[in-house]
Amino acid sequence: MYDRVITRNEPGCVVFLLDRSDSMKQAWHGGPETMAEGAAAVLNEILLDLCLMAQKEPGRALHYFDIGIFGYGLRSVAGGEGVESAFGGSLQGQALVPLPVLRANPLAVQQVSSVDPVAPSSRVPVWVQPVHGYRTPMCQAIAVAGGHVYDWTAAHPDSFPPIVINITDGMVTDNPYEGADLGEWAKRLTSIQTSDGSALLFNVFLSPTGENGKLFPASDHGLPEPGPDLFRISSPLPPPMCANAAKAGVYIESGARGLGFNADHPMLAKFLEIGTRVVVGN
Amino acid sequence: MYIQTVVFSEPKAGSAPEEWEDGALAGVSFSPARPGQAPSQVRYVVADGATGGYASRQWVNQLVTCFAPDNPALGPKLERASMHSWLEWMQDLWAENPPVTLDVIDKLRFEQVGSFATFLGFELSGLDGPDPWWQAVALGDSVLFHVRAGRLLAVFPPLGPDDFNSDPDGVHSKPSRLNWMSDHLLLGHGVLVPGDLLFAATDAMAHWITRAVIRDAAKTWTTLSEMVHPAIFTRFVQDHRRADSDAEAMKNDDVTLMRLRILAGQPSYLLVCL
Repeated sequence: MYDRVITRNEPGCVVFLLDRSDSMKQAWHGGPETMAEGAAAVLNEILLDLCLMAQKEPGRALHYFDIGIFGYGLRSVAGGEGVESAFGGSLQGQALVPLPVLRANPLAVQQVSSVDPVAPSSRVPVWVQPVHGYRTPMCQAIAVAGGHVYDWTAAHPDSFPPIVINITDGMVTDNPYEGADLGEWAKRLTSIQTSDGSALLFNVFLSPTGENGKLFPASDHGLPEPGPDLFRISSPLPPPMCANAAKAGVYIESGARGLGFNADHPMLAKFLEIGTRVVVGN
Repeated sequence: MYIQTVVFSEPKAGSAPEEWEDGALAGVSFSPARPGQAPSQVRYVVADGATGGYASRQWVNQLVTCFAPDNPALGPKLERASMHSWLEWMQDLWAENPPVTLDVIDKLRFEQVGSFATFLGFELSGLDGPDPWWQAVALGDSVLFHVRAGRLLAVFPPLGPDDFNSDPDGVHSKPSRLNWMSDHLLLGHGVLVPGDLLFAATDAMAHWITRAVIRDAAKTWTTLSEMVHPAIFTRFVQDHRRADSDAEAMKNDDVTLMRLRILAGQPSYLLVCL
């Protein structure tokens, strides 16, 4: 299980759930950026990484993945609270987008200064903008993702299972949703399968004053709220991601789950890198 | 002395032939032209572009054509100092003439990821004398096998079955890697006699050969030396990609095999595969 190679014939699916609730406006770990800005920046970085990884020839990416990004909290297009596709520009409203289409349709190109003060700045594409408002309808977000993941697995029954990564800073505010609690929605999502295994749900929790950040814990011991709930709904980390973690220098205990807690910017970046990197074939 | 050369190639399963990211160039004369006579010095090269690199096919194409150019004066000598200058020239040429850069992601990939290929270049010299020889340069896991009378004389670079991995040495387009490449460049040589066979292979085939010769060397060299038609080679590769046994399986990767047969006289026939 979880050993299927991603190819153009059997692409993968990565869905990001991005908390866009009002609390995401707070400064992230006391730094200059808000959690909404930081999460959007890291998400844009990982999308760029996926585009770079899938590019063999100048000007085009190969169709290795279908990508979804759903914001929950403020709906910047439809207005009000709820869940909607976080894609903007020409991708606005689309649910799952093939990687070549994503590559060809960034929302904007931004100038980004290098961490190296003597290096020139770079121009990088962005697909997601930081917005925030309203509460945290996480159950609905998982339900929406589940619907798309279900359809996707029906069309790709032999692919590597879909990966759903939930980035949040808050307590779920719509629990229960349509008669099912958060755990039940997560269970429904992770019961969707391909022949290579069940859909994976990973969660990463951001906090404004986070300390003692943890990546991929093997138990919920010592995690403050909402750590235990997020731990319970997080999938066990499958072997390919354990190998990714080892390569990235992250120690993985037996029983580790796809949870990041009190993550700062570098931890979130590492979490997304480990959680999205699977073996790519041709 | 004459060289009978065949080059086989096969793209990854699932990829189109034009997506083959290896490169090969065979039999480029590096000796002064002598009308009516075979060249005394001939150059060969195989390279394997990294799938994760930027514009691998174009990078490989630049490397092989510049290593064995039509004008021998433009090619490097197979010694460390000359190769250092040539590697530097390769990087400069790439930076000055990148493949068409279309958008911001191409630019990032070009600058941040760069291009990379394993590289094996070799030359046969003294073909008009009594003691011909080969000399080679290599970075990475493209490998030259020298076989005489069914016996393996040399493996260059000297790699065994456990020495192949996903992070080989190679020729990188990033200037920051220039000195590292020069330091890690390997040089080798060997003496040739009529009847010898040389096989140059990129990593998937080379790895398979290093394991196959342990199981049954005679069968391995017989199989590879008697293969004549590209369709047979394709079937051979496809069969081994599907092999159940790890020992016999070939990695699903682009495959290149160049075979040189050293002949005392001109071959008596010309075989053309259509």
